[in-house]
Amino acid sequence: MSETKNTTKPNNKRKANSGPLGFLSSLCYIWWLEMKSTIKDEGVLIFFLLVPLAYPLLYSWIYNNEVVREVPVAIVDLSHSASSREFIQDFDASPDVRAAYYCNNLQEAEALVGKQVVHGILYFPSDFDLTLHRGEKAHVGVYCDMSLMLTYKAIYQTALAVSMEMGTDMKKGQSMSFTERDEEVSTEPMVVDAEPIFNTTGGYGNAILPGVLILILQQTLLLGIGLSAGTARENNRFQDLVPIGKHYNGIMKIVLGKSSCYFMIYCVMAAYVTMAVPHFFNFTMLARPADLFWLLLPYLLAVIFFGMTISCLVRYRENVMLLVVFTSIPFLFLTGASWPQSSIPGAWQGVSWLIPSTFGVRGYLRIASMGATIDDVLPEVRALWIQAAVYFVTTCFVYRFQIINARKHAISHYQMIQDRIKTAREKRPTGK
Amino acid sequence: MKKLRIYIRRLINLWAREVDLMIHNPIYICCMVVFPLVVIFFFTSLMSTGQPEKLPCGVVDQDNTSVTRAMIRQLDGLQGTQVAGHYNNATEARKAIQRNEIYGFLYIPEGTTAKLVSQRQPEVSFYYSNVTLVAGGMLFKDLKTVTTLTSAAVGAAKLQMLGKTPNEIKTIIQPIGLDVHMIGNPWMNYNVYLSCIMIPGILVLFMLLITVYSIGTELKFGRAKEWMSMSGNNILIALAGKLLPQTLIFLTIFLGYEWYVYGYLNFPHPGGLSMIVFLAILTVLSSQGFGVFVFGLMPSLRMSMSICSLWAVVGFSACGATFPLFAMDGMIEALAQIIPLRHYYMIYQICIFNGYPLINAWVNVVALVAFASLPILVVRNIKRAMIEYVYIP
Repeated sequence: MSETKNTTKPNNKRKANSGPLGFLSSLCYIWWLEMKSTIKDEGVLIFFLLVPLAYPLLYSWIYNNEVVREVPVAIVDLSHSASSREFIQDFDASPDVRAAYYCNNLQEAEALVGKQVVHGILYFPSDFDLTLHRGEKAHVGVYCDMSLMLTYKAIYQTALAVSMEMGTDMKKGQSMSFTERDEEVSTEPMVVDAEPIFNTTGGYGNAILPGVLILILQQTLLLGIGLSAGTARENNRFQDLVPIGKHYNGIMKIVLGKSSCYFMIYCVMAAYVTMAVPHFFNFTMLARPADLFWLLLPYLLAVIFFGMTISCLVRYRENVMLLVVFTSIPFLFLTGASWPQSSIPGAWQGVSWLIPSTFGVRGYLRIASMGATIDDVLPEVRALWIQAAVYFVTTCFVYRFQIINARKHAISHYQMIQDRIKTAREKRPTGK
Repeated sequence: MKKLRIYIRRLINLWAREVDLMIHNPIYICCMVVFPLVVIFFFTSLMSTGQPEKLPCGVVDQDNTSVTRAMIRQLDGLQGTQVAGHYNNATEARKAIQRNEIYGFLYIPEGTTAKLVSQRQPEVSFYYSNVTLVAGGMLFKDLKTVTTLTSAAVGAAKLQMLGKTPNEIKTIIQPIGLDVHMIGNPWMNYNVYLSCIMIPGILVLFMLLITVYSIGTELKFGRAKEWMSMSGNNILIALAGKLLPQTLIFLTIFLGYEWYVYGYLNFPHPGGLSMIVFLAILTVLSSQGFGVFVFGLMPSLRMSMSICSLWAVVGFSACGATFPLFAMDGMIEALAQIIPLRHYYMIYQICIFNGYPLINAWVNVVALVAFASLPILVVRNIKRAMIEYVYIP
């Protein structure tokens, strides 16, 4: 669109005010002004450039270790037997946990949890070995600190795996079979193969970060657009979003001029966030460039027009931060990246359809982490195009309203000056 | 005595002015009351089921016998899983995952039952997607349960044939049982787990932003001189006059949140009432203190608000409630200590959620008190800013 024309600048603005050329020159002029104000305005620059550049790196760094290893666990072994020690050895040898402390009783271990040096307790009752070899069911107590789900998962799953493994060994001896193959079959009549098909490491960063990255694009755009709208209003004499001028007499010029400025900046940012950042930190990236493009194009457009629509609510530039920043976390939850989409209540599903990030994140997660094609995410892409269209229309409406308002203000101001002049003239002859 | 009376008079005047400002600027009412209430309601209603239920799961049953059908029915009967679709082959099921129709699938190849009865050790597999970690974890658990039960049923039948009693059979199938105690949250309720950190995190975010905003707008709207003169050019009185009405509102909202989750929704809180109230006061004061400190460092409304938002938003990840702090890099571990939400989370989980005595979290209490007293370092700077600076947009 106007990208190719950016060198024209406002050179020919005097020449044409009507016709397609005039339209284009006005559009470019508005684009140029918006670009200039973006670069000059420190606040907008922070949200358009610094945050999208730096925040993904910070988040990736936070989650870079992906999985939780060596969760410290306290051991209370009242059995002191070969079998309990075998259990502890196997437990300690697993990658996810380590036996950090040995305690004499549960109270000691509980105190250690309070001091946050361990996150769980393994408890062997004194009759552990006895019951195990007497043909009764032996019990191991596992106490988990539930303030962290990932440590709970590590401790519980490791304890379960070790107990199953040891149990199978026990069973083999009792299975009354002749050959080793017989033993294998009788202890495991059916082999079960559990395969994580996508995000195979179960990494936390790989699961949550793609969503965060796409959300960062949206939130910074909303903040930046809101800030620049707030600035425009504050610099305006009548606190209007749209100034009076010959370039500002058409809705399309303003909306397209501004949005093309945001779009150009965010093409670069989106490419950086979705291609460079995953590359730096070795995240799963199965997306093909074309699919990524066709998803991000409607996403960026939807976000830009969404942002321009709500930017009309912003009276002062700083208010936008109060309105937008806190929504990041609820928006992330609405995408279904952390709480499964199928479990989101219907009412909130409805709310989530209003927000571009919902479909953007869902589509991106499936394209990037699951290797889906654009056909697989077609519902999301369609939803994004619908959003882009709807928000484009609402943007036009609110800008129309703003232009009318600006005219009204200008006319009333003009009228006021006229009245003043009139009264002054009337006064003069009588005064002198 | 007379001086004290003047101070009190000034304070009251400032409070009245502040309340007047708050009433006449809708953004205050939105950010201090309306949005926090919306957020509290949002999180608690979003996860009101506690655990995800009826996660859609696919089945590829190429065997199609009574045994495999029984297994699928059993899977469908579990609370966490719902069999949402039958597929002809693994590729179709995989594509269904990519289309977001299911989170995983069970694959039963042809001849499974025949091999099972003739003791030729068939192999069934299940595939689950970890892209949504919670859903993947839940499906893994349910699929593992179902397949293990089916496998065990064969062993049980053989043992029954040999004349073992039901008790013996149970022991032989699982010689070592785990007694799992999920302390504090035995239902593994995600509402308890996530709401208790996300909601306070957003409340802290609002406290930081509003504190900075209310001080910064004095400069922005050119009211700074008026504000200072009302306090007799005493910055401490000026700040107290400005922040105290906000403290009361924030405290009410925070206590309201705590009443709602602990009192009404009955989230576990063995720490007791005194600890809950103590943490609320500490959180509000430390957030306000931190906000004032940030503004004092950079007496520019825009910069200090940006810093506060970035700080608070990073806090959600760096507080270590979802991904544990000890699993992060050392640098991040150190960085997390200067984030108020980290200390909030530690005190909450040690003293309220797990009910340990306060002494276990003394470091975090000290940290929050330190945050609350940070403004002492910058009051002079704020005063100078208020008297000398001119707002530059």
